[in-house]
Amino acid sequence: MDQPRTDEDRQLVARTQEGDVAAFDQLVVKYSPRLYGLVYNMTSNHEDTNDLLQDVFSKAYKSIRGFRGKSSFYTWIHSIAVNMTLNFLKKRGRRFNLSLDDVDASVQNDKEFLELTQTSSPVREADLSELQVRLNEAMMKLSDEHRAVVTMFHIQGMPHAEISKILRVSEGTVRSRLFYANRQLQNYLEEFRKNPVS
Amino acid sequence: MDQFNENDIGKLLRLKRYEQPPPGYFDDFLHEFHRRQRAELLRQPAWRVWMERAQSFMTELSVPALSSTRMAAAAVLVCAAVLSLKVYQAPENLDLASATVAIHEPRLVAAGSDRPEGVWSLSTPVEARALDLSPFDAMNRRTQTHRHAAPPRYVLDSTPVSYEPASFRF
Repeated sequence: MDQPRTDEDRQLVARTQEGDVAAFDQLVVKYSPRLYGLVYNMTSNHEDTNDLLQDVFSKAYKSIRGFRGKSSFYTWIHSIAVNMTLNFLKKRGRRFNLSLDDVDASVQNDKEFLELTQTSSPVREADLSELQVRLNEAMMKLSDEHRAVVTMFHIQGMPHAEISKILRVSEGTVRSRLFYANRQLQNYLEEFRKNPVS
Repeated sequence: MDQFNENDIGKLLRLKRYEQPPPGYFDDFLHEFHRRQRAELLRQPAWRVWMERAQSFMTELSVPALSSTRMAAAAVLVCAAVLSLKVYQAPENLDLASATVAIHEPRLVAAGSDRPEGVWSLSTPVEARALDLSPFDAMNRRTQTHRHAAPPRYVLDSTPVSYEPASFRF
């Protein structure tokens, strides 16, 4: 994952704090795809993700005058996104409308996709698209906090240290949550492989 | 048969990066953001809009102490308190002219006022309080002013003494 260009962010934040709305627009353009992935993989729903992401940027815009730069803007905006999404998920409870069905066609050219389908026997045995659906279901069975860690580490490719800053927990907690979540996912997928119709 | 290991899980999860919103979504996202910002601004109560403008004004003036919400709120409260005090005084100030007269002609005013003389309140005109007259001074002043400016007094059911020259005996 690309390292955030903090100097550029710092300048954009400073300009926004001085009232330059266009500078904040640049931050929105820069971070919306990245944050979309984060929120989307935590909620599993496009509409919820869209609304949440709008709220995240709205809150960030209102609070940016109070942003003193103790952390990077990258960490700060991710913290807002994760916290707002976790609050939303608590309110929503267990009812959700899974809409994770838009796998881009370019996945077929992905190096890891090819590797998975050619070398990894458990994946090769199962239908990959079905496996993806089951994986999404397994993700939704995780607790919100565990799903957040899995999303940030596996999908977004963030290091443990960055996740611990965003969640304001220790790195040990991040590793422990990740270990537990991986075990849960493995168990669920194994169960599916043994009983594909269940 | 091999089992799913952590590496497989990681690789499968990384494929989820390809789950993307519909094409053009991010192009419209910023427009939608602006539209929502405007809509939210219209829904905001006037005092909040005013507060935010005041805050940004203070920031522009480089008054950081007043640019924080708490300090701005405190400043607004102080202003409100001062204004309300002025508003409270306003009806009394309508009598400013008579209050000024009251210093010189307390009896004229006392006739139309229930407030006992010498008792000051917050609504008492400042210039009256500043004089700080003692009761005796006030009494002397009253008698003096009566002599010079008060209208002639009449005794009811009787002839005015001053107009009865025959009653004077030397």
